[in-house]
Amino acid sequence: MQPDEAASALAGIRQQQKQVIDAILVPAWYWWAVAAGVVVIGAATDTRRTVVLAVAIPVAVVIIAALTVGMIFGTIRRAQVRSAELLGDRGALLIVGFVWLVVGLTLGIGFGLRAAGSPVPATIATVIGGAALAEGGPVLMRRLRTIMLSNRAGSRQ
Amino acid sequence: MRAGRFDELIHAPTRLAIVSLLAAVEWADFKFIRDEVGLSDSALSKQLTTLENAGYLEIRKAFVGKRPRTSARLTREGRHAFELHVAALQEIVGRAGAGRGLR
Repeated sequence: MQPDEAASALAGIRQQQKQVIDAILVPAWYWWAVAAGVVVIGAATDTRRTVVLAVAIPVAVVIIAALTVGMIFGTIRRAQVRSAELLGDRGALLIVGFVWLVVGLTLGIGFGLRAAGSPVPATIATVIGGAALAEGGPVLMRRLRTIMLSNRAGSRQ
Repeated sequence: MRAGRFDELIHAPTRLAIVSLLAAVEWADFKFIRDEVGLSDSALSKQLTTLENAGYLEIRKAFVGKRPRTSARLTREGRHAFELHVAALQEIVGRAGAGRGLR
């Protein structure tokens, strides 16, 4: 086999695996949708009106849950990631760290603003938390993509 | 560096694409493989059977409700053969690079 044929085959393998990894990662619109749902919950909380709380929060929670479950099962139906090998400890830590960071940031700001007497602490906190989700989610996906590409079978010797 | 082993069975372009895809996942759905690799149902079935007969692939057929669903994954032997094949390709490229460096 000629070296250029081997190089071309290796490039094809890399391209195929990039395509697969891209297909199983969470798309950017998901983060924006979840962020919007979180802001709805925050804004509804600040109204303190029973009707708004009783309708808006359950609806937003159900939409977020349905999107998340649909995303997970949609991905699993197509392909199951070799999470232990592909993500590794670093990928798992990044995901857990991101979730805790967004939750901690949102709750911290919310309680801080409430203690400071803000009239709309939950709205402000969830707008900031939502922005962190919408901006940070795609960044997290890019980092995971890099980790998965470096851990994929055939990339290590 | 692991010594490579060129694998003629894997190296055929469509099979190389299938095995590369499967090397990145645990299980993959038949339709997902078909769409990603760009093959017809019958062409993909043929290639999957070839890989299965070589012991490189495991095919799982299940029903989700009343719909049949076929999934495939690399066996341990298939994954190992793929990694050795990639190593062999890298050796070929590496040797050419070293040769050029000497000239």
